[in-house]
Amino acid sequence: MTTEAIGETPAQPAGPARGLRGLLTRNPVVLKELRGRMRGPRAFIVLTAYLLLMSAFVTLLYAIYVASTNSVYNGASSQVVGKFVFGAVVGIELLLVCFIAPAFTAAAISGERERQTYDLLRTTLLTASALVFGKLASALSYILLLLIAAFPLQSLAFLLGGVSPQEVIIATLLLVATAYLFGTSGVFFSSLMRRTLGSTVLTYAFALLATLGLPLVLIALLPLTSMLFNNAPPGPALETILIYGVGFLIASNPIATAVVTEVLLVTEQTAFYFPLPISNGVTLPLVSPWAPFLLFCLVAGTLMTIASILAVRRAET
Amino acid sequence: MPAIIETHNLTKRYGALAAVNELSLQVDEGAIYGFVGPNGAGKTTTMRMLTTLLQPTSGQAFVSGCSITRDPRGVRRAIGYMPDFFGVYDDMKVWEYLDFFAACYEIPEATRAGLINDLLELVDLSHRRDDMVDTLSRGMKQRLCLARTLAHDPRVLILDEPASGLDPRARIEIRELLLELSRMGKTIFFSTHILADVAEICTQVGIIEAGRLVAQGSLADMQRRLRPHRRLHITLLGHLPEAHAALVARPGVMEVRQTVVNGEPRPDEAAEAVGQVGADGPASAKTLEVDFTGDDAAVSALLRELVGRGLPVLRFTESVHDLEDVFMHATQGIVS
Ligand SMILES: Nc1ncnc2c1ncn2[C@@H]1O[C@H](COP(=O)(O)OP(=O)(O)OP(=O)(O)O)[C@@H](O)[C@H]1O
Ligand SMILES: [Mg+2]
Repeated sequence: MTTEAIGETPAQPAGPARGLRGLLTRNPVVLKELRGRMRGPRAFIVLTAYLLLMSAFVTLLYAIYVASTNSVYNGASSQVVGKFVFGAVVGIELLLVCFIAPAFTAAAISGERERQTYDLLRTTLLTASALVFGKLASALSYILLLLIAAFPLQSLAFLLGGVSPQEVIIATLLLVATAYLFGTSGVFFSSLMRRTLGSTVLTYAFALLATLGLPLVLIALLPLTSMLFNNAPPGPALETILIYGVGFLIASNPIATAVVTEVLLVTEQTAFYFPLPISNGVTLPLVSPWAPFLLFCLVAGTLMTIASILAVRRAET
Repeated sequence: MPAIIETHNLTKRYGALAAVNELSLQVDEGAIYGFVGPNGAGKTTTMRMLTTLLQPTSGQAFVSGCSITRDPRGVRRAIGYMPDFFGVYDDMKVWEYLDFFAACYEIPEATRAGLINDLLELVDLSHRRDDMVDTLSRGMKQRLCLARTLAHDPRVLILDEPASGLDPRARIEIRELLLELSRMGKTIFFSTHILADVAEICTQVGIIEAGRLVAQGSLADMQRRLRPHRRLHITLLGHLPEAHAALVARPGVMEVRQTVVNGEPRPDEAAEAVGQVGADGPASAKTLEVDFTGDDAAVSALLRELVGRGLPVLRFTESVHDLEDVFMHATQGIVS
């Protein structure tokens, strides 16, 4: 009889999933989200379309290269093209991450509220951190899948040459860090907002600010600085502040970070430290922006994750 | 009997509105407690506080010995909660839905498969195991949600309007299920508008209105307390005014009303009655409703008086107060 069978179910739980590893591996939310995302033909179609588009793009670039070797210039070395293909693929992936990471996470918590399953989850023994980590991990793992799937295309650049392992590692780190930053921002806004619409607007506003905000700031500052420089040469103190200020702005922007890192690699032959002499003869110690950018993503993303957990943990008042 | 749910002056304020106001109730272990009240009385708010979803403004409550504010995890372990909406994922199969929530209750994977089969059998959904949740009918979803609340074998079930929006058959099925769960030793605390459910299955009733508990106790208790008088129905073949006068003159008679059929005055009959009062009309029967305080001997004496005066009494009955009376009497319509 069923009554007895129910009565026999173990009342004592298997022990809460402790630690970060437990939060990720023994997390029912991860399983549920991935199961939902991979169900049916949709996941397959998305992945196929994505790879087809990327391949078409790389083929186009390659065709341009082949055509250019027969052209009047005839000087385009395969190394330059290799760099170009690699940069283009990474650039597209970066844009993709900026669009997809918010889309995958902006409904993470608010979607549960709208589906009216949030209250159900909160009355189970599922902890706030398990819910937040589960949502984040499942979104990030899908993005990681997209990045890994495009890896063969990236390595086409190796055939052409001109791309160092250093560049590949830095590019991968940048992509993952960007996905983490925008993924956590989506979870964060969805834990604050009641509605997915509001959360989506805020998440994309954040993503736009982080990617396009820097050029806008620079455009706004340009007249100001030129005015300063025209009237009187800036003092070394002001110059130092300006350089570090612009440096911080660059290191908070994934696109600027990628571009400046690559430029430094080509012009200064460095991926880490480089000295910059200023007008009074002093050299300023500077680092390639990818390292501070990773730090920025790690800190900002982790702070937003903690804030999301606190928002979920708090009982409604 | 020990109380498994108790609230002490539990209060929830939204600005000036006290949604739940100094509520103190006790639910006995093993009880089926019907929590009744008009719309907006504060039932859902009370339940959301008991399930640790909502922070009370003041007051305290304990579920299975755990404080809802200091030990929410202990409370969550002890309760199964079904809100007044479904809360189902549209991209999930029935068994996946139960599997997910069982996992959320930290039930080890090895025992989950068997558990899901048992739960589905209990709520009679075994044949829909592999269907998508959103293809289920309303009644089936309701039963699936009930199965979900049982995943971790909780001691207390807190169910917000488990029978709302169901057809009579589905409602009876839910009612049977609740009785079955009660036999399994679970305490059931549920809110409802359907008084028939309360009368049929509840061992305890609490009536809430405008955030206040206006009455609590067993059903019989409540009927005695809220309606201390008895109600007699006297059907006569005629001579209504004389009967009316005779009744009003008797001690213990509180009120005499005329012709209420099936609890609602029929317009045609009412018109007829007005036209015929005072005249010896045709031999159509009329009923007087009498609110009366007195023991059985007094009721008997009342009947003797009527017959002794030669009044044509056709029927003489006493109605048992139904819960609807109790409810209407207890709730004065403070919530409009
Ligand atoms: N979040 C909120 N903000 C403001 N007022 C609220 C909120 N939630 C509930 N209320 C108010 O509290 C009162 C009690 O609401 P509640 O939902 O508890 O009633 P109920 O007894 O469950 O009614 P029903 O039978 O219609 O489900 C209502 O007047 C409602 O408007
Ligand atoms: Mg309600």
